[in-house]
Amino acid sequence: MTRQVHRTEYVVRCLFERVGDASFVGHLDLMHTFDRAVRRAEMPIMYTQGYNPRPMMVFALPLGVGIDTLGDYVDISLSRLVDAEEFMKKVNPNLPSGVRLYGGINIDEPKNSLMSVVTTAMYRIKAPGIRDPLMRLFEKEEIKVEKRSKGKTVETDIRPLLLSGAQKMSSDPDICELYVCAGSVKNLRPDVLLSALCRHEEYDEELAQNAVITRLALFGGEYPRLLDIKGLL
Amino acid sequence: MDQVKISRRDLMSVESPGRYVGGEFGSVIKENVIKQLEETGSCREVRCAFCFPDVYEIGMSNLAMQILYKCLNDMEECWCERVFSPWVDMDAVMRKNNIELYSMESKSPLKDFDIVAVTLGYEMCYTNVLQILDLGRIPFRSKDRKENDPIVMCGGPCAYNIEPMADFFDVAMMGEGEELIVEVTKIVKRYKDNGKKDRMELLRELSALEGVYVPCLYEPVYDNGRYKGLKKLDECAPDKIRKRIIKDLDKVPYPTRPVIPNIRIIHDRACLEIFRGCIRGCRFCQAGFIYRPVREKSPDTLCRQGIEIEHNTGYDELGILSLSSSDYTGLKELTDGLLDAFEGRHTSLSLPSLRIDNFALDLMEKVSKTRKSGLTFAPEAGTQRLRDVINKGICEDDIMRSLRLAFSGGWSTVKLYFMLGLPTETMEDVKGIADLAYKIERLYFDVCREQGIKARKPEITVSTSMYIPKPFTPFQWERQNTKEEFLEKQSYLRSLIKSRNIKYIWHDVETSLWESVLARGDRRLCDVIEEGYRKGCFYDAWDDHFKYDVWMETLHEHGLTWEMFARGFDVDDEHLPWEHIDVGVNMSFFRKEREKAYNEQITPPCREKCSGCGAQCFKAGECYAPK
Repeated sequence: MTRQVHRTEYVVRCLFERVGDASFVGHLDLMHTFDRAVRRAEMPIMYTQGYNPRPMMVFALPLGVGIDTLGDYVDISLSRLVDAEEFMKKVNPNLPSGVRLYGGINIDEPKNSLMSVVTTAMYRIKAPGIRDPLMRLFEKEEIKVEKRSKGKTVETDIRPLLLSGAQKMSSDPDICELYVCAGSVKNLRPDVLLSALCRHEEYDEELAQNAVITRLALFGGEYPRLLDIKGLL
Repeated sequence: MDQVKISRRDLMSVESPGRYVGGEFGSVIKENVIKQLEETGSCREVRCAFCFPDVYEIGMSNLAMQILYKCLNDMEECWCERVFSPWVDMDAVMRKNNIELYSMESKSPLKDFDIVAVTLGYEMCYTNVLQILDLGRIPFRSKDRKENDPIVMCGGPCAYNIEPMADFFDVAMMGEGEELIVEVTKIVKRYKDNGKKDRMELLRELSALEGVYVPCLYEPVYDNGRYKGLKKLDECAPDKIRKRIIKDLDKVPYPTRPVIPNIRIIHDRACLEIFRGCIRGCRFCQAGFIYRPVREKSPDTLCRQGIEIEHNTGYDELGILSLSSSDYTGLKELTDGLLDAFEGRHTSLSLPSLRIDNFALDLMEKVSKTRKSGLTFAPEAGTQRLRDVINKGICEDDIMRSLRLAFSGGWSTVKLYFMLGLPTETMEDVKGIADLAYKIERLYFDVCREQGIKARKPEITVSTSMYIPKPFTPFQWERQNTKEEFLEKQSYLRSLIKSRNIKYIWHDVETSLWESVLARGDRRLCDVIEEGYRKGCFYDAWDDHFKYDVWMETLHEHGLTWEMFARGFDVDDEHLPWEHIDVGVNMSFFRKEREKAYNEQITPPCREKCSGCGAQCFKAGECYAPK
C-alpha cells in the first residue's frame, strides 16, 4: 500500500461520533488520532504537498474538549477509490474507544470545503433543571456575554446566534435540545451559552460545568430550511 | 468493582484532561477479570498497576513501560494497567475532592491492586513515587503495609542504588525486567491463591529470585556517620544481588502493538530498540556500565519488528533507540531495509544517537526529505586531556572531519554538549570548550570559502550540564563540584563566548546538587525524602517545581549535609551503599579504570579489545562475539 501524493482525490465523507472519555481529547489531538487510525487501516490517505506534508482531512467544525458528538462530519481524501462502507469497516476497529465512523458516502471532489457549508448545530444539554432557564433565554431580546479578545474584554450579544423557536420541548426538565448558529461565519460555543445562562438566569455554575453537552447534528442551509450536509457539495 | 469517578467539571478544570481518561488504542482491557470483579469483588488474576512517576506525556514515551506492559498482559494470570503521576493541577483537584489515584484502564483505585510497580528512570522522580502512594492511599513504608496492601516494587536504572528509597519499596528488581517481572508475578499469584497469608514469607520467597532485592531483609550499619555496609536481618537473604539480563534479545517479546496515546506526548513516534549496552565505556556514563554486555538484535528481527510497528501504530515516524546507534553492526542493512519498506508511506526514520560521519550524513539526507536539521555532538569535555580522562573516544580531528563533511553538505546548525565538573577538570579545560566552539565557527567560514558556498549565519550552540558522579562507574568515588565551583565555571565560560554565532546554554546548578545526593545516598535519606515531600516537594525533575532550599533545610534537620554525600568515598576503605548489588562489572575494574583516568589513559571499546570488566559472567552478547 502506498500513500502517495496524487492529483486526483477520492473523498470519503463520514459522520462520526465521539463520546465518553474520548471527548476529553482536544481537536488537534483528535485529528492525529484519525490520521493514525486511517494509516493503521492501510487506507491510501493523501498528503498535502510541501515541506511539511499533512494528511488531507477536513473536519466540519472543531469540537471543544469535553463535548460529545453523535453527528460530526469529516472528509478524508484518498488517492484511489475506496468504497465508503469498506473504508469505515477498515478504519473503525482502529479507532480508540468512544470514537466511531458511520453513514459514510463517497463524494466527488467537494467544490466547497466542508467547513464552509456548516451553518447550524443541534446540541443536547443535560443538567439538573436546565430546560426551563435555557428556554427563558429564547424570550430575551438581547443576551450579553463577556468575550476576551486581544487581551481586552468586550461585551457581545449572543441572542442572534440562538435560532429562535428552534428549541425542542423535552418532557425531561433536565434536558434541553436546541439549534444554534455554527460554522466559520457565526458560531455559538455551548460553553459560552452556559456561562450566559449562569449570568442571566442565575443557573448554578457548578451544575453548568458538569453539564453533559452533546452535539447531535450539523446542518447546512438556512434555519429553518436546514440541509443535510451529506448531500451538500 | 470500585471505580474512581471524576466529574466533568473537575476534568475540565485541569490542563490536558486527555491525560486522565485512558481509552487509548492498544490499551488492554481484560473483560474476564472485570466480570469476576463485578460479580464477586475479587479476581483470580494478579492485578498489577504499572506506575510512571511523572506526567502521562513522559510516561507514555517510556519504552520500558510499554515492554513490561506487554510482558505482563501476555500472561493469562495477570492484568497489568497503567498509572501516572497526576500533574500539579490534577493533584490539587484530587486532594481537595478526596479522589483516589486510579488506573487508566479500569479506573480502579490503586490500593485495589496486588502489585504496584514503579519504574525509576531518574532520581528526581522519587518524590512523585510518594505522591503516587499518597494519592493511592497506600502506606509509604514497607514495614507499615499489611497483608492486603499491594506489594510495592521498583525497577529501572535508579533501582541499582535504591537505598535512598529503600524504606518505601517491598521489592527492587535489578536489571532487565522481561523475564524477572513474570517470575515475580507468578510468585505473587501463588501468594494470592493462598489467601495472602504471610507477607514476610512472600518477600523472603521473592528474595530468592536472582535479581530481586528486598530491602527490609537488611539493615544499614553506620559508624560515626560513615556508612559501613548492610547487615542481613534474615538468613535467607542473599549476600549479593546480581542484575538480570536478557541473553538473546531476538527471543524476547517486543511491543509491536504498543498503547497509542490519544494526546500528543514527548516522543510521539514508534520506537525500535536495536541493542542494549554500549561498547564505548565512557567513564562518566552509568548507562555504559549497567547495561553491559552489549547485545544486538539481528537486522532481520528489527526489520520485521519495525515494519510491524509502523503498520500497527500508524505513526509516521519510527525512532531507532539505543546508546550510540552508530555502533550497531547491522546499521546499514537495517536502515536500508526500513527505508525501503517505508517508501511512499510518508513514514520517516529518526536516529537520535548517531555519530556524524559520511554514512550518517547520507542517511540523514535520505530520512529527512525536508529541511536540514541540526547536528549534535557530545564531546563532553573541552580538551583532549580531559576527554582522555573520561575515555570519550572522540578527538578534535574526528569532530572537525565530521563537521567539514556536514558544512560542505550545507549544514550550518551544530549543537555541542559538554559537562562541567568532571574529575581533574581545570579552568584550562573549561576554556577548551570555548576554544572548540570558536574553531568550529572558523571551520564553517573556511569550508564555505573553499567550496564556494554562500556562508549563512552558522548557529553553534554550546550547552553545559553539571557532572554528577553515579554509582557503578569508575567515578563513583569522586567528589562532586561545589555550587561555587560550578557557578564559577559557568560564568567563566560565559565570559569567553562572545561571538554572535555561538550561543551558550547553561543549566540550573541546584538541581544537579540534589540529584547527586540522591544518586549516591543511603537509607538515611528515606526520612529526608518523606519529610521533603510532606513539605510540598514533588515534580523535582521540573525546574519550576524544584525547591532546593527546602531540600537543604530538610537535610540539615536530619543531621545531614550536602557535603556528606557529595564528598564521595574513599576508594580503598569505604563502603558504598550499592556494594551489595552486582551489575556484572567488577569493583576492581572500576578501580582500575579510575586509575587509568587519572593517568589520562584510554580504554578501547570492548569490540576492539576486551578489558575484562567482568560482564562475561552473563555469557552473552559482545563478550562472546567472534572477533
